[in-house]
Amino acid sequence: MLRNYLKIALKVLLRRKFFTFISLFGVSLTLVVLLVATALLDSVFAPQAPEVSGNRTLGVYLMGMTGPEATRTQFAGYQFLDRFVRPMTKLPAVEAVTCFSLPETGVSYLNGKKIESSVKHTDGEFWRVLRFEFLEGGPFTGDDDRNAHFVAVINEATRDKFFAGQPALGKTLEVDGQRFKVVGVVPDVPVLRIAPYADVWVPIGTSKSDLYKKELVGTFMGLIVARSRADFPQIKAEVQARLAEAKPLITDPKQFNRLLGGADTPFEAAARLLLSSRLEQGSPQKLWAVLIGLAVAFMLLPTVNLVNINLSRIMDRSSEIGVRKAFGASSWTLIGQFVVENVVLTLVGGVLGLLFAGLALHAINASELIPYARLSLNLRVFLDALLIALFFGLFSGVYPAWRMSRLHPVNALRGRSI
Amino acid sequence: MIRHLFKLVWNRKRSNALIILEIFFSFLVLFVVGTLGLYLGDNLHRPLGFSYDRVLNVSIDMKQAGDDTFEPAQVATFEKLLQEAQSLAPVEAAAGAIIVPYSLGGYNGAWQFNGRRIETEFNEVTLGFAETMELHLVQGRWFQKGDEALAWQPVVVNAAMARQVFGDADPIGKRFGDPPKEGTEPERRVVGVVSEFRIDGELSGPGNYTFKLKRVGQPDVPGASSLDRPPRNLVVKVRPGTPVDFEEQLAKRLQAVAPEWSFVVKPLSQMRESSFRLRLTPLIAGGIVALFLMVMVGLGLIGVLWQNLLQRTREMGLRRAAGASRANVHAQVLLEQMILTSFGVLLGVVLVAQIPLLDLISFISPKIFTGGIVLSMLSIYLLAAVCALYPSAMASRVQPAEALRYE
Repeated sequence: MLRNYLKIALKVLLRRKFFTFISLFGVSLTLVVLLVATALLDSVFAPQAPEVSGNRTLGVYLMGMTGPEATRTQFAGYQFLDRFVRPMTKLPAVEAVTCFSLPETGVSYLNGKKIESSVKHTDGEFWRVLRFEFLEGGPFTGDDDRNAHFVAVINEATRDKFFAGQPALGKTLEVDGQRFKVVGVVPDVPVLRIAPYADVWVPIGTSKSDLYKKELVGTFMGLIVARSRADFPQIKAEVQARLAEAKPLITDPKQFNRLLGGADTPFEAAARLLLSSRLEQGSPQKLWAVLIGLAVAFMLLPTVNLVNINLSRIMDRSSEIGVRKAFGASSWTLIGQFVVENVVLTLVGGVLGLLFAGLALHAINASELIPYARLSLNLRVFLDALLIALFFGLFSGVYPAWRMSRLHPVNALRGRSI
Repeated sequence: MIRHLFKLVWNRKRSNALIILEIFFSFLVLFVVGTLGLYLGDNLHRPLGFSYDRVLNVSIDMKQAGDDTFEPAQVATFEKLLQEAQSLAPVEAAAGAIIVPYSLGGYNGAWQFNGRRIETEFNEVTLGFAETMELHLVQGRWFQKGDEALAWQPVVVNAAMARQVFGDADPIGKRFGDPPKEGTEPERRVVGVVSEFRIDGELSGPGNYTFKLKRVGQPDVPGASSLDRPPRNLVVKVRPGTPVDFEEQLAKRLQAVAPEWSFVVKPLSQMRESSFRLRLTPLIAGGIVALFLMVMVGLGLIGVLWQNLLQRTREMGLRRAAGASRANVHAQVLLEQMILTSFGVLLGVVLVAQIPLLDLISFISPKIFTGGIVLSMLSIYLLAAVCALYPSAMASRVQPAEALRYE
């Protein structure tokens, strides 16, 4: 039966080439836009190398302070991470904790040419939580951090800029007026990977000033690796408790009386940032709803367009429908047949969409709009595409099919319009 | 004739409803694109109020995240940096500011004026800022030496702010903002008006702007306030013909003065380019998607109309047999299409009109809004007409004998 449907579907598609072209154009265009958006989100939120334990990692990303009149939203401060989050390694549920700064712009002048690099200050544990693949040398250690050794790990792009791609191990580079010895070289990490991304990684101890050590809220982030995802609620509660514990350390208690923040997955952090004004525990479900709502809103116009074309196509086939009805085909059979046809069409459009999306992503990567971006169509994105195409096919096929099934056989045989 | 066409449209209301829906959605897409386009085009034409030419910005990282506290030592260091910059030969003028053009951010504030709350962007700058950025003073004067020690706080506003607060009255010397209840802050007075200061650059919309004076060099003035905090940006105007490697020289000299801080020197023109890229990329991407959507809608309309007319071959043949000319048939098809489009547009306008009625988006002026509606109406009618041309040509070419044979 299904084979017959598919055969008819193909025949119909080939018969009215113009309609097929319009439908495929609409379907693949919609798919391309949604897939590029999906690939972008995927590259921000889905863990990938070097975040080997990304699936069981929580981050203390956003922090803030609030008071009767003002709210300040920033990132975690080093003092809070050092005194309250780092000791959490003693908890049985926690495997490791690392602290690192946000990337700052570091300027170097090499033979009169300016080079800007993103510099991240990290502790030694950073390299055990994030398993970078080293092209040369290896990471620096916790001792390097505590003793403020001027050593650095650099990425490939930085090696190209400073050392013309020659081996860099043991050589020095000057960033921001400080000289570092290169101990390791790693591949480029996309800027969308918030935790690992940088061009140059150096120990926190080499910071120019000590002011960061006094900050509860500041420009640092922490990652907490749990033994398993089941420990997440316990760790989140613990971080909340420690936020309350750190409250007496606020330097200006008149202005600020509460610390905001918490331990999140990247997606939860986005929900916290986007959906609440005071960094309250975000609701990932709500963020999902917003994203899906946006996608559906975008699909409205293409869907109406496809429904219109489908309706027109049915009119063209009213005599076929009349014959089938006259020979006893039920409405459900006809609806089924038409929906199958439509899904076949949208799947073909989906394949085209995947192809075009691949080209679009390639163009975005090549344009270097997003530094070191490696947007690609992985299995997750492919499954998303399949899902979207199926949804699209059902969505736009059901109404025309229902209209078709209600044709009166006599009228249909006469070729009357619906 | 028109009444008759309405009847024809009504008789096919079910399939027409979907076409109207499609036109309604297309209208919304065109309206968003059109209004945004007009808004940006309008912004591009208005003067900036400053010059970014030959200006270098030094962003200073004091290695401190919060703005809540500062130390006298930091003030002294900043003062030394400013003096160092001014002492260099290629430098025409230099000044400190808490925020500079094209830096993607801003400080917003609001003051009460006779109980009326008026919002403004604001900046805290040192004396040399007007000279460095080439601001155009239209009334009064810029800050001058000795202003830091006044018992009241001088401010310079842009023309839009002066107009909104003082109307047509002369703002110079007037009190700026209602006196605070607790009397902690000194009274503010307007000393000058600049034509404009569009800190976000050419793409940004009109707005209010207020300059306050940073009190650099007066760390012992009683009652330290945020105005004593050292600014995190240093703008430097260089003489014409200064070689590019001066950037490096400047960075090294500043680094030598304050080894514990970090400096990023960047020409404003370069910051302008990246801010343009950042703002325009999503708009261009959206525009391309909208264009493709419209092509899709256009092709869809052609297909649907063609199929509809194929169904109505007999009707058209009958009209031709009864003496209607080809032009008459053409006109009928086009008019029917226009009626359908009008329904979609009407729905769209009713929905879009809620935006000013409910005051949902305040930054778009009524002029731009109306322009956006007119522009999107014109383009959707044009799209509908173009899509009707080919099918209607097919329909009018029907031979009466051929068409009537089926009956």
